[in-house]
Amino acid sequence: MTGRLPWAGLALAAALLTAAAALAFAAISSSENSGTLEQRAHAVAATLKCPVCHDLSAADSPAPVAQQMRAQITEELRAGRTPDQIRADFVAAYGEWILLSPPQRGLGLLPWLAPGLLGVAGLALLAVTLRRWSRQHEADPTDAAAPELSAADRRLLDRALAAARGEVD
Amino acid sequence: MGWRRWTALAAVVAGVGLTALLLGSGLGHDPNRLPATLVGRPAPDFDLQAIDGGQRAHLAELRGEVVILNFWASWCVACQTEEPALRDAFERYRDRGVTLLGVSFQDSATDARAYAASRRIPWMLLDDPGSRTGLAYGVSGLPETYFIARDGRVSYKAVGPVNQDLVNQQLRRLQAEGAA
Amino acid sequence: MAVLGTIAVGLAFATAAYGLLAAVVGARRRLPALVESSRTAAYSLLVMVVAANAALMLAILSNDFSIRYVAENSSLNTPVFFKVLSLWSAHEGSLLLWNLVLAGYLAAIALRFRRKPPETLPWALAVMYAVSLFYLFLVMVLSRPFASLAEVPADGRGPLPLLQNHWLMAVHPPFLYLGYIGFSVPFAFAMASLITGQVSDWWVRITRRWTLVAWGFLTVGLTLGALWSYAVLGWGGYWAWDPVENVALLPWLTATAFLHTSMVQERRGMLKLVNLALAVTTFSLTTFGTFLTRAGVVASVHAFTKSLVGPAYLAFLLLVLAAGFGLVALRSQQLRSEGRFDSALARESALLGNAWVILTLAFIVLLGTIFPVLVETVSDRQVAVGAPYFNQVGKLPFLVLLVLMGVGPLLAWRRSSWVQLRGQVGMPAAAGAAVVVATVALGGRSWAAAATFGIATFVLVANAGELGRVISSFARSNRRPLLAAFSAAVTRNRRLVGALVVHSGVAVAACAIAASAFASQTEISLERGQQVGFQGYVLRYEGLRPQPEPQRMVLRAPVSLVQAGRSQGVMEPALNLYPAASEPIATPSIRYGPLTDLYVSVLGFDENGQRATFRVLLNPGVSWLWLGGAMMAFGGAVAAWPPRHRALPAEDLVLARPLAEVG
Repeated sequence: MTGRLPWAGLALAAALLTAAAALAFAAISSSENSGTLEQRAHAVAATLKCPVCHDLSAADSPAPVAQQMRAQITEELRAGRTPDQIRADFVAAYGEWILLSPPQRGLGLLPWLAPGLLGVAGLALLAVTLRRWSRQHEADPTDAAAPELSAADRRLLDRALAAARGEVD
Repeated sequence: MGWRRWTALAAVVAGVGLTALLLGSGLGHDPNRLPATLVGRPAPDFDLQAIDGGQRAHLAELRGEVVILNFWASWCVACQTEEPALRDAFERYRDRGVTLLGVSFQDSATDARAYAASRRIPWMLLDDPGSRTGLAYGVSGLPETYFIARDGRVSYKAVGPVNQDLVNQQLRRLQAEGAA
Repeated sequence: MAVLGTIAVGLAFATAAYGLLAAVVGARRRLPALVESSRTAAYSLLVMVVAANAALMLAILSNDFSIRYVAENSSLNTPVFFKVLSLWSAHEGSLLLWNLVLAGYLAAIALRFRRKPPETLPWALAVMYAVSLFYLFLVMVLSRPFASLAEVPADGRGPLPLLQNHWLMAVHPPFLYLGYIGFSVPFAFAMASLITGQVSDWWVRITRRWTLVAWGFLTVGLTLGALWSYAVLGWGGYWAWDPVENVALLPWLTATAFLHTSMVQERRGMLKLVNLALAVTTFSLTTFGTFLTRAGVVASVHAFTKSLVGPAYLAFLLLVLAAGFGLVALRSQQLRSEGRFDSALARESALLGNAWVILTLAFIVLLGTIFPVLVETVSDRQVAVGAPYFNQVGKLPFLVLLVLMGVGPLLAWRRSSWVQLRGQVGMPAAAGAAVVVATVALGGRSWAAAATFGIATFVLVANAGELGRVISSFARSNRRPLLAAFSAAVTRNRRLVGALVVHSGVAVAACAIAASAFASQTEISLERGQQVGFQGYVLRYEGLRPQPEPQRMVLRAPVSLVQAGRSQGVMEPALNLYPAASEPIATPSIRYGPLTDLYVSVLGFDENGQRATFRVLLNPGVSWLWLGGAMMAFGGAVAAWPPRHRALPAEDLVLARPLAEVG
């Protein structure tokens, strides 16, 4: 068991991660549609930028404009408008930049997809590299005869070697 | 030098070049400039009362007139610099189908009234409770002035204090449009 | 004073130029005397830069308004404390401070390597001198702090209101600079080893402590920045994903990755290419960061007003990128691994995985920060990228990173066994699972928060368990009682113990971040004497209390606090009116607590103070963030603490002492 790449383990890890990622994306929008009116307004305001601040959302910003945006959002939610409609209204007045997340179409897809692609590519690269390196090891039989050390002994050995190498420590 | 080294070097050159392009063009932009999305679109309607509690102004009823909508506040220092230009425009164009309206943004009613009285502002100043109109027009700073054509479209958005030349230029354009 | 300062800057520039020349010529022509001269020139450089800083400081303190910087950033009314701080509160002055820290690091390198200077020292010095030359050029030509005014005003404008509000301004920028600029040291040694072609493991060993120290400073700087955002800016949070905040985070991330992958190079001689690239990347990111902050490319709370330095910074950044990565590409053939990966279940793979996740996180932050610029360049649209994006996309990699922080220290080098690992992981995993269940049972509806609490518990228990094992194995092998063995074990295993403390600190900070999912807030308008109930507290507005101060008017809104029937005193959020600012600056009032913070800020007054609008938040877990940050800094200090008998490492892997001596 030791020394062999746990392919099943890696596959399981990848599956779990994908499931978790899907959950992560799904979980975000739910707070807009459930909870008290104040909570829902807060959630919608959190996706909109305060127009006079640099980075704060309309939910976080103490600026008077943001306060009034929150009040307006509360009113509109009470009147039955959906979060998407409210956001569309603000985009019509201010422009796309009032949204705090890049729109999920066109060039805006890049920041949403790139990290996921990178992560998957990284995992693949890792797997390939480890496989290549471990295959080199399987071809070399000298280590097979080495005795198994206990964890404590292995640590002692590591430290002794490190100190002997005169590490700057 | 193997091919691997050449590709690595080529990648470095490409990366540096892209960075140069991206950040270099970023230098040219003003990060505080915001696009005006309403230009060319119908101006959001409003029905507001004057700050002294008298008349009301309803944009839909002003169809057929050119409307200058000026967002201001008593605490806005820059607004004071554009006051002469607005005053001039008001005097010159009031009987020629141009209506100048001021909308107070993020201001208390008492302060706005006091300011208007002390400066003797002749044009109608409107109170905007909850800044609904300000938010509908996408106001993100003061002063901002919108020029609305006779058909109700937003023709131009001026960010920052306006001067006489700009006002005259826009009004001439709008009046020519209406005539044709 | 201006004349003295300008002369000092000019002399510093000349000294740095000499140092660079002497180092390069001395290295190429193998003239040790010239190299030595270049080394000692670092001391003169430091003296000159100190003199320049002192000149500006004296000018500020003596109200010399003939200097434009003093007139724009200080005034007669400014308290002395904030006058001192105005040395670095604006662009030109902060560049002068930057030069001071840089010269300090240069002198420190010169001092450290005065005996038996390594072969790569001349080139490392040359690189540091070259960097100094750039920043001195900025101060000498483009952003002159000693520029004078034609008409001397009677009084200065004073610092920006936000920058004279709080004592944190005294510590946040210096720590940030100490961290940021410190990363030029590993960069210098990496470049030196690339230039000389001596791509051995030596440079990594040399610079590890320096990188750790810089990392520690940056950790403190970032934590203080978060504290500032929380306690001073008054919006109730500690991280706004402001572009300038993000670019301070980026080199911290890559430096963390570097600290981990360098371990693999030290022990196994592997990942040489990765380490060189990471050293270059970290320094490039600091240069990119300062470019973004000062060149007016993105709008930010922090951004200094747009100055002429933009193109100069861009040119320097491109030079750094081209030289650094170009050299790495050129030498890539020589960077072969000396060791092999024996097993996927080993510390090497955990460290490599850790580096990958951190780089993914860094990429997310970088992409999010420059995406608006990218979009505006390519199309004419404008988009914004803020907290919702970073939180959503960064959540998962961060959790993976946390898991690695728990598992990594438990894995042995080269090969670990499943059986052994299962035994060590069992209890921490069980503890983590228990916490997840408890969180959900107690009503916590956020899966991310529950997962974070669980994994953080896993990390804490795993790292604590490892610490226990280290101490007990030390006690056993030295036949000492457990308690007495504690300090000796820690001293002998500084790096490991430091790492365990840092990991625990990150876990604690992660809990703080996750706990924000359970924050609650309300906005309420109160008449004088009116009270409101919120989360078990009763708050009553006592009426406006104005307090005039020399440089500002403070409008205090005292709010009396009652909890469970018992009075808890009075909280005093305030609005500060500065003559220079069009809008008031809010100062929140915060009741810090081990579990929750009560945060009250006043948004505005009506009817001459008879009525005030408040924002009240109950923030769980924020105190854990400061604790976590402190633990991380402390762990870094423990790991970096030099041993009593310290020798420079031999340049080859030679047994310097017989094995029997090692405890």
